[in-house]
Amino acid sequence: MTHRASARAAVLPGAPAPGAVIDTRALTKRYPGQVIALDELTVSVAPGVTGLVGANGAGKSTLIKILLGLLVPTNGSASVLGHDCERDGEQIRSLTGYMPEHDCLQPDVTATEFVTHLGRMSGLPPTAAKERAAESLRHVGLYEERYRQIGTYSTGMKQRVKLAQALVGDPRLLLLDEPTIGLDPAGRAAMLELISRIGASFGISIVVASHLLGELEQICDHIVAIDAGKLLRADTVTSFTQASQVLVIEVEEGTGQLLDELARRGLGPKAQDRAVLVRLDGEGTYDAVRDAVADLGLPLNRMERRRHRIEELFQDAAAEPSEMTGAADAR
Amino acid sequence: MPADAARPTPASPPPVTAAASGVIHDLGYRRYDGRRLGRAQIARALCWHSLRSAFGIGRGVKAKIIPVIAFGIMCLPAIVNAVAVATSASHASIVHYDTYTSAVRVLVMTIFIAAQAPELVSRDLRSHVLPLYFSRPIRRIDYPLAKLAAFILACLIMIEIPELLLYLGTVLQAHGLSAIWAQTRGVVPGLLVGLMWAVVLAAIGLALASLSGRRAYATGTIAIFFFLTWTLARLLSHIAARVGGAGRPVPANTSGPPHGHIFVFVRPGPVPAGVHLAGLISPFTALDGVREWLGGTTPGIIADPGGYGPAYGLMVLVFLGVAVGGLIARYRKVGIA
Repeated sequence: MTHRASARAAVLPGAPAPGAVIDTRALTKRYPGQVIALDELTVSVAPGVTGLVGANGAGKSTLIKILLGLLVPTNGSASVLGHDCERDGEQIRSLTGYMPEHDCLQPDVTATEFVTHLGRMSGLPPTAAKERAAESLRHVGLYEERYRQIGTYSTGMKQRVKLAQALVGDPRLLLLDEPTIGLDPAGRAAMLELISRIGASFGISIVVASHLLGELEQICDHIVAIDAGKLLRADTVTSFTQASQVLVIEVEEGTGQLLDELARRGLGPKAQDRAVLVRLDGEGTYDAVRDAVADLGLPLNRMERRRHRIEELFQDAAAEPSEMTGAADAR
Repeated sequence: MPADAARPTPASPPPVTAAASGVIHDLGYRRYDGRRLGRAQIARALCWHSLRSAFGIGRGVKAKIIPVIAFGIMCLPAIVNAVAVATSASHASIVHYDTYTSAVRVLVMTIFIAAQAPELVSRDLRSHVLPLYFSRPIRRIDYPLAKLAAFILACLIMIEIPELLLYLGTVLQAHGLSAIWAQTRGVVPGLLVGLMWAVVLAAIGLALASLSGRRAYATGTIAIFFFLTWTLARLLSHIAARVGGAGRPVPANTSGPPHGHIFVFVRPGPVPAGVHLAGLISPFTALDGVREWLGGTTPGIIADPGGYGPAYGLMVLVFLGVAVGGLIARYRKVGIA
């Protein structure tokens, strides 16, 4: 999977790129009972494939509902493809395909019937709905199976039908909510490839909401991370990945010595169990670690690159790193 | 997808050499730039789709069994009447336009609504397909209204086509223009009564069905509601008549032609209010009360509304208002994500 991120401008809060697909300004949603789902969220999403990452309850679903014009924000504003979400909900929904997280398929109809009907509901005339349903199903990789009842499908096939119904109305933007949920590793890989292909070749901007940063990194140009309704970070995947990579070093003995030596070299090491972690800042880090280990003459067992998990990312942002003080400082 | 690469779409631009453009164009994805329908047309499409599904069209054979049988039974009185008109010396109809045959209508409509209203709404609730509707260019209220319009049409088909058959069966055997005119004047109020039945019953049926995503529960709720209120109304009317001493209910066949109803009241003395008011409880009897209040002459399902006609009119409006309001409120609540 190639990262196309470097070719694009970084998405930064407060500085909407011209032609932003999604633009929110101090977007706030308070539910009754003082539950704050979105808290002054200001973010701009450029065309391309964007990951919306956040733990469960971070406000992803609320954001999607507001963007579709189905929920009125308490404060602030949001626009999709240049249309105001509160005013032009119908317009936005005719330009946007939505794939919900949960099961939303009728088991007793065929995929063709299902997607054709939803094509009609997207505003396509009867013949166009039929043609586009067949095409959408072909694009997601359902061929002869589409004449079978959806109830007989595997989870992977069902996810593809969900994607096809989002695609049927020829949207300019796809909102995909946890598209790989419930899939096995092979199914995940196939779904990610499909999303990546749609984003790259169909000219459709995509926002993929997920709690799995690793998956998003594979297919996205940009990542928007939210937590507790607040923007955590919005950046290109490249800078995200750099910021979130650590080097794990394990030596047979002399872990304490190594920690001291790495600290002396300014790498800001951190001990975790029997391993030493340093923030990965490009090729230089490998060299520095190699030199430190060699100078001390320690038996090196393991040295590998590891990504932050999503939880660690959030801890970073909250400046309460559990393992990588250095990483947080460096940001 | 490898399969895509293997099937170039005719409409896609011819593959350009990578050197010429730097981009490979054989992607197979075609934009749609044709006509797009507006909100009203989408709602109409949903209505048509739902009307078809009310009769099991576009579904398997099993889905068609109940609607077809129900429709067949509903047509029987019209057929029997046509035969009766043809064979009797007086050429008199035995089925009246304004009531059709109440017992058949009550029974068949209860079965039809209990079986088919869940088909329109419970299935969608059950499969959580509503987020897909609400994320499309319609408004939330369009969904219940389109479903309601569809089911009213379905109930109209169930009620008015037999009514028209009844008319045709009589008119085709009528002698002289005046006879045809008399029949035509008779069928119009009958059609209006049918319209009233269809609107009110469809609304109640859908509102009750939308309470549950499980078909069996929805069907049970509707059947129990209609049968219970109907039985209760008749029972109360009966009790009130006895307590008030307003004459004993006697079997219907002792007075005049059979109308399919069970009791006809012989009223030697003043009739207590309870007898007149009992019919308010059930949608069927309330509708029948309105028919009599507005001038329907054929004896009804239970006692006539007496001087309480407006109460019946109000009750029918209450049934309709609560049902439509409940249905719309129900879909305001449905979550989308």
